[in-house]
Amino acid sequence: MQNRLILAALLFVVTPCMTAVAKPNFAVEVQPILERSCIRCHGAGKDNGDLRMHTKTDFFKGGVNGAPVIPGEPEKSYLIELVSLPAESGDRMPSKGAPLTAEEVAILVDWVKSGAEFPESVELVDRQPKKQISAAEMARLNKLLDLGDRPTVNEIAAKLDELIDLENQGGNLPLATEINDLAFLRKVYVDLIGRIPRMDEIREYIQMPTGERRVKVVDKLLEDDRFADRWTVFFADMLRIRSNREGGNQFLAYVRRSVSEGKPYDQMVREIISSNGRSSKSPEVGYVLAEEADPMTLAAATTQVFLGVRLACAQCHDHPFDRWSQRHFYEFAGFFGKTTQVENNFTSLKYTTETDKMAILWPPEGKAENSERKPVEPKFPFEFVSYKSKPSYLTRFEKRRAVREEEKDAGPDIDSLLDGVDTLGFVSSNKDSSFDVISDVRKDKSKLDIEGDLYRTSELRRDLAARVTDPRNPYFARAFVNRLWFELVGRGFFEPLDNYSAGLDIKHEKTMEFLSREFVASGFDLRDTIRAIVHTKAYRRGHLEPGLDTATREAAEASFLASPTRRMLSEVLFDSIVVAGHLNEYKWPKGANVKTVTRTERVRIDDEGEMAPATGEPQMAMNGAPTSMMAADRGQAARAGYNLEAGIEIDFDAVLNKGDVAEELAMMKAQSDMQVEQQRMMAAMREQNRRPAKYTYREITETIDDNPKFGSTMRLQTPANPADFQRVFGQPGRDELGDFRDHSPSMRQALMMLNGRATHEASRVGSLEPLYPLLADPKPDFAKAMQRLYLETLTRLPNKNEVSEGLALLKSAPTPLEGMADLRWVLLNCHEFKYLP
Amino acid sequence: MKDTACKDYHMTRRRMLQASSAAMLGLPINSLVHGALGASSAKAEHVILFWNGGGMSHIDTWDPKPGRPTAGPFEPIKTSADGIQISSIFPTVAKQMHHAALIRSIAGTNGDHGRASYELQTSYGQSPALLHPSLGSMIVSEREPLGDLPAFITISGQARSAGYLGQRCEAYFVGRPGEKDPYLAFPAGISEIRGNRRLEVLAKMNNRMSKNMGGRELKATETAINEAVNLMRSPSLKAFELKNDDPDLARYGDTDFGRGALLAKRLVENGVRFVQVNRGGFDNHSNITEAMENHGEVMDPALGSLIEDLAASGRLDKTMVIMLSEFGRTPRVNDNAGRDHHARCFSAFMAGGGIKGGQVIGASDEDGMFPEERPVKPFDIHASVVNALGIDHNKELTTPSNRPIRLVREGASVVTELFG
Repeated sequence: MQNRLILAALLFVVTPCMTAVAKPNFAVEVQPILERSCIRCHGAGKDNGDLRMHTKTDFFKGGVNGAPVIPGEPEKSYLIELVSLPAESGDRMPSKGAPLTAEEVAILVDWVKSGAEFPESVELVDRQPKKQISAAEMARLNKLLDLGDRPTVNEIAAKLDELIDLENQGGNLPLATEINDLAFLRKVYVDLIGRIPRMDEIREYIQMPTGERRVKVVDKLLEDDRFADRWTVFFADMLRIRSNREGGNQFLAYVRRSVSEGKPYDQMVREIISSNGRSSKSPEVGYVLAEEADPMTLAAATTQVFLGVRLACAQCHDHPFDRWSQRHFYEFAGFFGKTTQVENNFTSLKYTTETDKMAILWPPEGKAENSERKPVEPKFPFEFVSYKSKPSYLTRFEKRRAVREEEKDAGPDIDSLLDGVDTLGFVSSNKDSSFDVISDVRKDKSKLDIEGDLYRTSELRRDLAARVTDPRNPYFARAFVNRLWFELVGRGFFEPLDNYSAGLDIKHEKTMEFLSREFVASGFDLRDTIRAIVHTKAYRRGHLEPGLDTATREAAEASFLASPTRRMLSEVLFDSIVVAGHLNEYKWPKGANVKTVTRTERVRIDDEGEMAPATGEPQMAMNGAPTSMMAADRGQAARAGYNLEAGIEIDFDAVLNKGDVAEELAMMKAQSDMQVEQQRMMAAMREQNRRPAKYTYREITETIDDNPKFGSTMRLQTPANPADFQRVFGQPGRDELGDFRDHSPSMRQALMMLNGRATHEASRVGSLEPLYPLLADPKPDFAKAMQRLYLETLTRLPNKNEVSEGLALLKSAPTPLEGMADLRWVLLNCHEFKYLP
Repeated sequence: MKDTACKDYHMTRRRMLQASSAAMLGLPINSLVHGALGASSAKAEHVILFWNGGGMSHIDTWDPKPGRPTAGPFEPIKTSADGIQISSIFPTVAKQMHHAALIRSIAGTNGDHGRASYELQTSYGQSPALLHPSLGSMIVSEREPLGDLPAFITISGQARSAGYLGQRCEAYFVGRPGEKDPYLAFPAGISEIRGNRRLEVLAKMNNRMSKNMGGRELKATETAINEAVNLMRSPSLKAFELKNDDPDLARYGDTDFGRGALLAKRLVENGVRFVQVNRGGFDNHSNITEAMENHGEVMDPALGSLIEDLAASGRLDKTMVIMLSEFGRTPRVNDNAGRDHHARCFSAFMAGGGIKGGQVIGASDEDGMFPEERPVKPFDIHASVVNALGIDHNKELTTPSNRPIRLVREGASVVTELFG
């Protein structure tokens, strides 16, 4: 009874204005309170008092005392009663941990009063802040994760597996068997260099000694030229590189060169975060230019991409599940607050430089009079690890770095690069400034460009870059290894990949921590870390049998006991079709495919009665490409309406060359979705602004030699146009943060695979490819042909069943060549081709 | 400085505050939360959206200002709806105005092509944090498909992406209206018999593999293949093809737009939910008179014939036809005899799908500069359209990164007058 009185008093206090009860947003306001204070004991894991509160059904089913909440009636809801009790009552909830604040109670009261809406789809998870790890525990952990001074790759991989096993202990989840040697070969080719292995590569592998081949082939692939292509795709997704943004192609080329040269990840990120200037001189500035140097966007991207924390949620409100406040975000944005983008009207190039004025003010706009808003003092809110004696991984990092410094020849590091920039030159960029940059640029453009003294160093961002990439900053290495692990194993330690928060319940936290430390100890070396991951058992697991229920399967996959069903990246899929079908080389002699094509063209009759084509070929008109990935017959292919699979190839070296070419290339930007749309509309306008006229139709007949040859999709401008193969198969548009690949199947994908030009041409058996003589010979060797086909497409031999099925197909076809084309078409379209072993 | 869409979180409470106050005033809370149209009054099953990119002049089309210095050269003409006059560039459409409603008081806020067309197609402001789906994607994500053609088809240009709704809600793209999509048939040289034999062997092989690999992805891939094959074999496919001597082409006009409108009609007849017909050329900063005359000659016969045909066949009741642009154009004619961007007041044309014809909603001031009566927010249009299909515009969805988000932007309300 006394409780009720307290409650009544409380209600009166917190809702003085009863006429306008606000309805709290469940996800933003209510959910965090329940997750922090209730779910540990009343959730999926525990049901104290028979009460679970983690789903709508459980919540309203209630426990021994009935439902905790009567919608609309906070006075009758025991949840409200219990959280409002004084500490000394002994019945107060939560029984452990901090009591709810008055504000939190008020939110719950409002929520109940407004009907206690609990979304069906939501499942609450425990987010009670974890206890601080004690020094003794930390020492134990350090010991567990310590592999001594110079661990081998095998030791690191074994440790990862050991930790995974340790953290899976007690679980009763099914374990998938390991994949065989050939499946491993296919998997590492796809993951490391972005295509399936060719016949000669399979042979080379098989000839290696059984015990050594996996190690050898991984070492070989890590040094392959295509390794840089494949992992540039990874970084392009992560860094959201867009060819159509200012400096986009240069940024892409910079990343590719960095991967190719084995530049340590921390160094690359330092350069990306701190650089000022223009793309033709400092290609890494594309990161800042892509966001037009907007401090808020850059702060959001930098925390989310490099630190795996969605600090951006705190841009508008304090972070719902973490300690980040709006102020943290503003202070972080302050590091970018003096950077500005300048457009040079003379050369129409854009560059960034530093001003003296801090653009980020606190409090936020609208929260205070403008006169009270003051420039923020940039602050880095992420804590470094602290220790009394230096952990061994940091010592190893330092040693490794020292060795690298010694080995390095002339190549300047970031500090010397930045020091080399003359900061004494005149500086302007501020719009308020009366200084006329343009006219001075006109006076002596070449001198300025060479000396680069327009581009003032950002001290703030250098400082930020050093903090972000500090080996003691646990967020930095963790965010990256989580992405890397996901890319290779198929599941992250936490997901979404860019949404770490302290309250997350991470099952394999030790494994993650160990991999992070090893990444630091390797000197932030991409190749070393990939090497360790692909030699784990976790990477070599196969799939679970299909009979299992989805929940068990997914739990096992999330525990790294089985590989999830993972499709090749769109670029990898296309390149693999090309390799499987020998389309990376001419497989027909010249003139073998000459054919006559007839098409109907709509032609308008002008006022003068002249005829002119009504519409240009839309794809080609849009692309206006310097080169295309299809070396031959581009025009014909386009006119045949198949050009959706083509794209614009980038010459990476030329893009990075300093000189006139680079200058020109810098100006020559890719066609964004929007630009394409604009161009289309302009073309449409040109036509549509003319008077509508009569049309006639005419047939056009032409002769073409259809002998296509494709390059790699990984060297194309990126992202592709929305209707193109890469995009249809999941390449993200990269305009938003956290825009991950969408691997869900769609009808459009199916149509592109079933009827597309790439699969069609790949299926046909060309007279110059090795399959041809096996089939066209007077004494054909069908069995051998079938073996070769299976190896070339699926990296394995056919089983008996498949052989007889294939033979039936070959024999029922008008010619064995046609039958073989049909079979190859089937293999290219089947699950096993697209999905990894 | 850019917004992030996180701002929505803030507004939630404010809107709910309004809802609560309304409840205090005795209004049923559902009328606000579920929009103004009960499920029973939702009539529309299909939508045809004509997207006029570039910012179509409202004064030279739906909102003439006779006698004003800003009027421009086009005389208003009488229409089949009492008291409603539209520009003389629309003589055919004028005969159908008793079927159509005009909104003359859309109060936009974005004068930039990119941002405004994002907002007018998705209802949301552009944000680096989230890609929002376009109107067509919203509708096909909430309403089941009818027939075996793709539920959302975009013609003569790309629609906005499906954003967080993902691949399954993307529009099917038709580049050139009337011509067959090469991906819808076996490649040249592959006969039906041969192609079907391939599909048979493939199905057998995939079936075997999903017995070894499992996983939802494989099932979904098989579904996608089956859908694709069904589409390839669908008798409805012929809806995509227009014969060059099609008699209707003469009435609609043998232009991309005329073909687009005719194709849209046929697709809707074959069960397509949402057809977007794209057209550009409205960014008339110069010589707007000539441009609009020509636009009229292209658009008028197509739009007029479409409404007429849909009404005659009885399909207009179930098919909403909308013509929309990202903004209007300035009342003032500039030195190049053009009009510039004008977001603060513009018009939309809407007919069918439960819309009460022969009415004008809202009014602009005497020069078409600002809304004078009943300002309509751009995203009220999205709320109205989805409601007409029986979809709650306030429905809360979850993005792949588990962010709650409303189908239509916070604060939108249905323009109830549209539905009589």
